[in-house]
Amino acid sequence: MNKVLLIEPDRVLAEVYKRAIEADGLTKVMSVTGAQTAIMAADKRRPDLVILELQLIEHSGLEFLYEFRSYPEWQSIPVLVQTMVPFAEFTDNWHLLQDELGVSAYMYKPHTSLRQLLDSIKEHSLVPQ
Amino acid sequence: MKHMTGESYPASILSQQLLVGVAEELKLPLLQIARQLELAQLNGSANLATVQATAQTALQLLDNYVLGVRLALEPQHFPLEAVSVSSVLYDASQQLDAFAKSYGVSLELNIAGKYGPVLANKQGLQAALVSVGAALIEAIPALEGTQQLKLHLATHRSRYGIIAGVYADTKKLSNEALQRGRRLQGRSRQPLLNLSQSNGAGIFVADAILHAMDLHLMASRHHRLHGLGTVMQSNHQLQLV
Repeated sequence: MNKVLLIEPDRVLAEVYKRAIEADGLTKVMSVTGAQTAIMAADKRRPDLVILELQLIEHSGLEFLYEFRSYPEWQSIPVLVQTMVPFAEFTDNWHLLQDELGVSAYMYKPHTSLRQLLDSIKEHSLVPQ
Repeated sequence: MKHMTGESYPASILSQQLLVGVAEELKLPLLQIARQLELAQLNGSANLATVQATAQTALQLLDNYVLGVRLALEPQHFPLEAVSVSSVLYDASQQLDAFAKSYGVSLELNIAGKYGPVLANKQGLQAALVSVGAALIEAIPALEGTQQLKLHLATHRSRYGIIAGVYADTKKLSNEALQRGRRLQGRSRQPLLNLSQSNGAGIFVADAILHAMDLHLMASRHHRLHGLGTVMQSNHQLQLV
């Protein structure tokens, strides 16, 4: 079973993404709303892939990434950024996200269909589906 | 009958920041609707009640923004009147009910006590409370460590007057957070960083509506709960009528 950690602060969207991702019957989604609970969830059950919104309450997605990547056992886990923040707003920092924090893909949430999200998960998943 | 004066209210009610904030905020419900319909196409199951509540609340945000603008521009069309706070809170809870359900938030109405009428514009007061309520319904499930997904619409008397507000079991609803949010509104993606993942347009629309009615959005306590509300003076003259 492929385990996806979904960090999505909006409850309605989280439910939609969870249902879409789990529809294949081979993937289990752990859905959390913030950075702290995400770290705890990952600690409890190591995810195979992370989907991250950068705009979170209190601690940002970027702070989560720094914390997450500080643990050696989580450094190879693919992280897909799916966010409401347009790419233009952090173009200058993209190399930081990609090279230093190991972000595998960026998706602008309003323009990313469920199908595109599912394809991206498939593409970056380390566990064969 | 006293009319509200829009003179003291700065152009910020019409500000581009607030309009941009509303436009940004509307991306979320549109996105929710688009993805829910896409999910229905993929899986053949659609939660139509949630889609409807989402659309309705987005329309309300637009209506409330427009009302705020009209209150500032045409105060003569929005006279102050004798308003029952309990009745306004009841109507607001009815308006928010379906949206709250879609977020798994339960609404509780605390309107016990007879406080008599206050001087306000009913439409404006209700729009402000609905606007704050909808913003908190979205925010509360995302707050880490929140035990209860419950929102209270309540009124009580304080030494400053009669307060009507929206309350939850979180200390993050503070004056400090509100003031910082006002300073950052239009300059930051998340002016209410500790409270909302969005730009909190609903809170600022309520702020603008209340301001146009010479009222103020402020942090308030109700029993052990924290919330945002407004203080109004009861009008003894009206009680005699």
